[in-house]
Amino acid sequence: MVGLLNGRLLPLLGAVALAPAAADADEAGRYRLVAGLDLSHVDASGHPSWLEGSAGKLRYDADNDGVLLSRGFVDYGYRLADTVSAKLNAELYVEDFSSTLDLTEAYLEWRPVPRSANRYTLKAGIFYPRVSLENTDAGWSSPYTLSSSAINTWVGEELRSYGAEFAVERRPALLGGRQRIALHASLFYNNDTAGGLIAWKGWSLHDRQSRIGDGVPLPPVPQIQPGAWFDEQDPFITPILEIDDTWGYSLDAEWSLDQRLLVRLTHYDNRTDPFGYEDGQYAWETGFDQLGIKASLPGEVGLIGQWLDGYTLWGRQTNGIHAVDVGFESRFLLLTRPFDRQRVSLRYDHFEVTERDSIPLDENREIGHAWTLSWRYVLNEHVTFAAEWLEITSERPAWAYFGLAEEKTERQLQLTVRLGFSRR
Amino acid sequence: MRTAAVPIYAWLSAALLAALAAPACAAALEVTVTGPDNEPVPGVAVYVMQAGRDAAAEPAAAVMDQRGKRFEPHLLIVQKGATVEFPNSDVVAHHVYSFSKPNNFVLPLYKGDPHDPVTFAHDGIVTLGCNIHDGMLGYIVVVDTDLFGVTGADGSLRVELDEQAGAATVSIWSPRIRDRHLSRVVSATTPAISFTLDKKLRPPHDSGSEALQWSDY
Repeated sequence: MVGLLNGRLLPLLGAVALAPAAADADEAGRYRLVAGLDLSHVDASGHPSWLEGSAGKLRYDADNDGVLLSRGFVDYGYRLADTVSAKLNAELYVEDFSSTLDLTEAYLEWRPVPRSANRYTLKAGIFYPRVSLENTDAGWSSPYTLSSSAINTWVGEELRSYGAEFAVERRPALLGGRQRIALHASLFYNNDTAGGLIAWKGWSLHDRQSRIGDGVPLPPVPQIQPGAWFDEQDPFITPILEIDDTWGYSLDAEWSLDQRLLVRLTHYDNRTDPFGYEDGQYAWETGFDQLGIKASLPGEVGLIGQWLDGYTLWGRQTNGIHAVDVGFESRFLLLTRPFDRQRVSLRYDHFEVTERDSIPLDENREIGHAWTLSWRYVLNEHVTFAAEWLEITSERPAWAYFGLAEEKTERQLQLTVRLGFSRR
Repeated sequence: MRTAAVPIYAWLSAALLAALAAPACAAALEVTVTGPDNEPVPGVAVYVMQAGRDAAAEPAAAVMDQRGKRFEPHLLIVQKGATVEFPNSDVVAHHVYSFSKPNNFVLPLYKGDPHDPVTFAHDGIVTLGCNIHDGMLGYIVVVDTDLFGVTGADGSLRVELDEQAGAATVSIWSPRIRDRHLSRVVSATTPAISFTLDKKLRPPHDSGSEALQWSDY
């Protein structure tokens, strides 16, 4: 699994290499390429990071901060036909537990020309479920902050749909109206381990997205140690894996008024059999509902809010109780305002995990909140400067398993230069 | 005091010259559109159907350009049977379509001006979209008359009626107008007519809003 390049990337690299020649020959502009490389100086303090084999909520810790290459991404789209596009997203991380570059999304999208006021779209492949209202830029980046909210960080860690998504969008705007209504439905596969990180690690805030080939580290919780109850679990989670051969689904309804207000309701259910187990990975039955809001406030202030409420459970039932059964909930509110080429954003996150089982030594409760203050300055199309202050205060009794304080305020300052390249 | 007598034929020839310079049978009609706040409303399609009037033999051709991910003009009015060219002046490709039956059409993905002009053989409102850029929105108003135009910044438009033909029906249309029954009948010699709207106008469409766009291919 560990290596510089993953075999899946050969088609992507080939396409990227050939694209300029193809585009020159084709006046209609068939491809779009956006790439970025984040060089950062990070100063972190808190528990040792979960990505370094411990349980802290940040991506970095005091031993792993400093000057580093925090992230690279390639967002590539190619139009195969007038109404069919292929899209590939890849992320680059310099880590020792996974390959350097791998895909996060790869799908085809068909947008037939509307024959009525309804627009239909069909997407098939590997893609993010429609949860985030933050990660709208190329490479699933956020235009507001470097680190995603707790909710969308989790989406990046554990959720990916292998399947198809169908959308119908009613655009009464074409008739002079100001409203737009859209319904999306998707059927997906390969997301049976989603929920494991929420239960055993809890919420985090960072900018790392799991890639298709990734196994992301689980904290060394006692329940998965040799001889313990769940010792068949690998010390890592493979977020993208099918175990029980059952499709999951998600549905969402969205309503918007001009560019002023957008409301989205989402229901997600991976319909996983919680007794499933395969090759060191447990299957987690995970479902949630979400309310998302995006609004333009007076004074050029933008507001984004998401509120997600769900549950995840695993294992045999004893007296009606699953081996692991937790509820999770998070909400955030982000305010952002552009100042010409600069942007300032402030976000407050609240998150918690509640225990619904009573298995000893499987303590998964947590409660916490985070403040994120971010500034960015787009110097030109190739250089963006960003600075972000992130402070997470939380209480997680399971930290005592590692000899760490159960209550902790973790802080991270990240200064980033994003070198960007785009061709469209 | 003696004054020079002007012979009758001189009057007649002067009248004839005047008639040749500006046909005596044409009468200007000024159409004005004002909103409920008494502000003039620009960009409104105005068309006049006059009984007993000979329409132009050949409808004039027109151009609907695409610039900065907008249709330009946002609203175009043409006579039934007219041809409209759809050049793309943007760097990015567009995929222009309309589902407004029976004038529906599709111009597959293009840059520049590779497609033949589209002939609009039926009267009615043709709503234009781009399959790539959902925010792009434009209108072509196809009318069965050659007396038409779009109101200017002062909310008005002048058309020349045929004084010797019958009564004229003046109609207006704009995607921003919510009022119904926007047709009035006037006599051939009416100098001016004003439409005062009761309902608040819809805000103008902004094609440029980023969030509406699917992608920037």
